[in-house]
Amino acid sequence: MVNSLGEAREIFRYRELLRNLVSRDIKKRYKRSALGFLWVMLDPLLMLLVFYVIFSGLFGKSIGQYSAYVMSGIIMWQFFSQGTKVASLAFLQNRNLINKIALPKAIFPLSIVASSLVHFIFSLVPLFIIILSTGTKIGPNLALLPFVVGIVFIFSLGLALTVSTLAVFFHDVVYIYDVLLLGWMYLSAIFYPVSILPGKLQALMSLNPLYHFISLFRASLYDTAYLTAEHMILGSVFALLSLLTGWAIYYVNRDRIIFYL
Amino acid sequence: MIILEGVSVRYRIVEERRRSFQAHLINYLKGKRLEKHTLWALSNVSVDIGEGESLGLIGSNGAGKSTLLKVVSGVIKPAEGLVTVKGKIAPLIELAAGFDDELSGSENIFLNASILGFSRREIEERFDKIVDFSELRDFIDTPLKNYSSGMIARLAFSIATEVDPDILIIDEVLAVGDAHFKQKSKERILEFRNRGVTILFVSHDMEQVGNLCNKAVWLDHGKIMMTGKTNEVIQEYEAYQSGRKKDENPSSPLRKQG
Repeated sequence: MVNSLGEAREIFRYRELLRNLVSRDIKKRYKRSALGFLWVMLDPLLMLLVFYVIFSGLFGKSIGQYSAYVMSGIIMWQFFSQGTKVASLAFLQNRNLINKIALPKAIFPLSIVASSLVHFIFSLVPLFIIILSTGTKIGPNLALLPFVVGIVFIFSLGLALTVSTLAVFFHDVVYIYDVLLLGWMYLSAIFYPVSILPGKLQALMSLNPLYHFISLFRASLYDTAYLTAEHMILGSVFALLSLLTGWAIYYVNRDRIIFYL
Repeated sequence: MIILEGVSVRYRIVEERRRSFQAHLINYLKGKRLEKHTLWALSNVSVDIGEGESLGLIGSNGAGKSTLLKVVSGVIKPAEGLVTVKGKIAPLIELAAGFDDELSGSENIFLNASILGFSRREIEERFDKIVDFSELRDFIDTPLKNYSSGMIARLAFSIATEVDPDILIIDEVLAVGDAHFKQKSKERILEFRNRGVTILFVSHDMEQVGNLCNKAVWLDHGKIMMTGKTNEVIQEYEAYQSGRKKDENPSSPLRKQG
């Protein structure tokens, strides 16, 4: 693991490439559509609308500030899931470059997760609009936000490294991960309260990193009740475990990747 | 300076590509280990290129020339052997690999130069020189998808050679663009050689190899057949090739080599 510091230093040396990859991604995604940047706002708002229409009658009473609850869940979920989903193809889609020019390959999954972070930051705008317009007060823990975003970034990066490396050796990983994400979303208490789950499942929720992340996100935004030591500690532990695992899997296989692309 | 000592590169060719769990599982249950055979793209290759030397790599398709370039540029880590490379490498390999055709010329300059490991400041310093050499000033804000292939090649060549390299790796692309730019790019490479830049050149064009290189290596099926002065190696190689041609095709001994 100590040896891998050299690789990390290489990635840092290529930070200009990282910057260019992220800005290309942002430009390409929004340059072409007529509404351009508005889609960053509209996308989560439309999702909120769907969830609200269907579920607010069901869960609206047990969850105060239902719009803020759902919207924060959606946005945090998208930050994590979009980043890692796109990153699963990071090496496969850049095989042309990886085959021709020597560079630290981890820069590709890293840049994808970083792009997802940029989108997340933009989508805080519609989130704050919803929170404020529904009369919810921004809580006193807003200073916690960078910490929450940081651990989710670390967690996503670790998983992105894992999935993208494994996908080189087994293409099925891409599809399996897709299906996994779908199930994972429904298990992450985005639009329902945890209290509706049967007791046993509720206990298992503490094994779901996204549950901790989303709860901490809600805590930093508007509701101090979600701020618990359990979320803080388990959230951080999952993030570190994910990064260590992902980095190890990538580092061990990094020179073999080229033979399987 | 480039030194390769006993370098071997192994590709694993899997008969049925073991890319899906299903195939993996079925074969495993059948007790069948997938048939893999190993292809030695390079075996026990030793090459020594001193500073300022220019080495030509010749050999038929699949001889391992491109693999050797990849080993030198660091894309492939060899299974065995030692690689020592000192100096900054400019890879003129498939020049446009890093381009994105939805971005403008200038955005692509920044993207492509950062792929080569340059910092923002270093790119900004070179930006004007790159644009001038490519003669694409008027189109620099146009998306690359509206460029002709010649224009793309010119831009790529300009970026890759504006880096003050110590080592230049050239895979077939000695000259690009129209006649005028071809001449310009040839001159630039000769200028590099005269300045003492180490050159590693792969080509099927023996005339170009003869003009540019003082040393040559002939590769065949991953093994070195001969190392030596360019003229001598080319002579041996061509004699060998025409001998093989005659064996295969005795009725038309004068047929031109594709």
